Amino acid sequence: MKILLLEDDAQTSAFIEKGLRSAGHVVDSCATGRDAIFHAADGAYDVLIIDRMVPGVDGLAALKALRITGVTTPTIFLTAMDGVEDRVEGLEAGADDYLVKPFAMTELIARIDALARRPHLAQALTKIRVGELEIDLLKRSATRAGKAIDLQAQEFKLLEYLMRHAGQIVTRTMLLENVWSFHFDPQTNIIEGHVSRLRAKIDRGFGVEMIKTVRGAGYMIDAPA
Amino acid sequence: MHRLRVFNSGAFRLALLFVVIFAVGAIALVAAVNVAVTRYASQTTATALVDESTLLRGEAQARGRDALGQLILRRERIVHAHQFLYLLLDPQGHPVAGDLPATSAKVGWGEASVAEPAEPNEPSDGQNTVRTYGVRLADGSRLIVGRNTSDLDELSDWLGLVTIWSGLGITVLAVGGGLLIASVFLRRLDRVNRSLQEIMDGRLEERVPAIGMGDEFDRLTGNLNLMLERNQALMDGLRQVSTDIAHDLRTPLSRLRQHLDSMRDLTRPEDLQGAIDDALAQVDDVLSTFHALLRIGQIEGGAGRARFEPVDLSAVMDRVLLAYETAAEDAGKILSAQIAPDIVVNGDPQLLTQLFANLLENALRHAGDRAHITMSLAQVDGAVSAVVADDGPGVPAYERQRVLRRFYRLDASRSTPGSGLGLALIAAIAELHDAELSLSDNSPGLAVGVRFVGPLADHGRGHVQRAAFF
Repeated sequence: MKILLLEDDAQTSAFIEKGLRSAGHVVDSCATGRDAIFHAADGAYDVLIIDRMVPGVDGLAALKALRITGVTTPTIFLTAMDGVEDRVEGLEAGADDYLVKPFAMTELIARIDALARRPHLAQALTKIRVGELEIDLLKRSATRAGKAIDLQAQEFKLLEYLMRHAGQIVTRTMLLENVWSFHFDPQTNIIEGHVSRLRAKIDRGFGVEMIKTVRGAGYMIDAPA
Repeated sequence: MHRLRVFNSGAFRLALLFVVIFAVGAIALVAAVNVAVTRYASQTTATALVDESTLLRGEAQARGRDALGQLILRRERIVHAHQFLYLLLDPQGHPVAGDLPATSAKVGWGEASVAEPAEPNEPSDGQNTVRTYGVRLADGSRLIVGRNTSDLDELSDWLGLVTIWSGLGITVLAVGGGLLIASVFLRRLDRVNRSLQEIMDGRLEERVPAIGMGDEFDRLTGNLNLMLERNQALMDGLRQVSTDIAHDLRTPLSRLRQHLDSMRDLTRPEDLQGAIDDALAQVDDVLSTFHALLRIGQIEGGAGRARFEPVDLSAVMDRVLLAYETAAEDAGKILSAQIAPDIVVNGDPQLLTQLFANLLENALRHAGDRAHITMSLAQVDGAVSAVVADDGPGVPAYERQRVLRRFYRLDASRSTPGSGLGLALIAAIAELHDAELSLSDNSPGLAVGVRFVGPLADHGRGHVQRAAFF
């Protein structure tokens, strides 16, 4: 994927560039909001990563300017602050996702993958299928290989999110934000228990595990090869 | 020095301002009285002159001019010098009777000047003004009646003197009073200023004395003292926090340092990998402490209040309960809840979620094995009351206020993970929402209550929770 990074701190910029390149992305970087507007104006990038605090035209203003000129490239906002205000401001300016520094490289990469696939999600889905697992979004029901699986509301929400991002790593933070609406980091690992219960219902008796734990990153649902 | 300050003081200037205003009022009053009295006296004089001349003319018509001359002579003798003066002239213009000078022989209104009549103990050296009224009699002779107006002039002069003297008196009184008030004020304000100076010099426990000149001043000093108390509490808090930050961050950082130091000896890549992961986890702990501190600071600064909206608190607590259910089960705790539906408060959905998540986490972490933890939400006496209670070891009564402080940890919980910031964050969020946070004995265990006393939000549920799911 072709990514534009706006980040004024050279060290952070180099770290992110290196991480993205080793994940197979093509990265251009710039240090001022003006440059970012200039480079991203033709919409040639797949994803923009914009740091909020840069000197001169800041990330927020740059993103606003781009959105006004009709650039709809999916954008992740990076910021050192995580007050509710900052997040809402970023989203209002037109950001699609929001990541608080410091973050793990795996987190950023997972979010880029999720963002880049977002346009497909815009279509109104009523059913999602991954391998032999299928969920019906209207009936809120799930089946694996035709066998009904009884899920609680929260479990269904978790499964739905995993399946919408099938084949991608979904991090703990992404699950907290999107399934539980927790925009903070709880000290207790509340995800693990939910995933293991969901896994027990989906994978037990079928031999092949569909929900995989990606060490140090998160979870992924995938059709068995 | 003190004198000079009295003259410069606000109280004195205020007194002077009053003097000026009062003086203007007094002058206006005296002038009005003067005009009214003068006009009244002058009208009286005019009426008297016309009446007298009419009377005398009638006398002349009835008994002839000579009789009139006699009458005038008699009247001049009887009537007091200040009453009437006369002049009777024959048709040829020769004076027949009367004291008025010939120059005043004028028909109609006129004025004449006569020597001041001699009075005991008063030298007669001045001229008096006489108002005259002349009429022509049937035979062509003229009758002039005059009246001394010196009384009027005297009254006028006297009023003027009264004005000047009373003005001077008032001024002296006002200046004196102003000085007195100002010096009383200054003495009392000096005491206040001395206290403030001492506070500025570092004696923070010093308080401002009451001025004692009425409720409004005592309210002022009362408020000053409240402000000082709050400032002191804030400063104490600040000092405590910075010391605590230094303490609490030194420990994990020294541990990390030792860890990194020992990593030098590792050679096998898999050992190194594990050690790096460990180091990263330790750094993350430190960062999350900073993060929590920043968040508390942000919340205490009042950020977020602008974005308050009606929040379905029942839904927030249900969501938190669902999120922690499995974690509680896995940790061997029994979690139960009585959450009344559809309770809406004004607030920030994110922060309220975090508040109840933190309360539940605290209970999960400190309540011990097989503990019962209950969450409840109800509307009691118009206030919304949420409680998270457990039957663990609880918090001793004397520690209940202290555990709300940043980094404060009970001895019993030193060994459990946690930054000691959880309750401080909870307290900050509660404060932002004008909610009363209370720690009480659940015998056994701890019950933490959050009472929302602010006005209830009972808007339609349509846009409730909007910000929670963007």
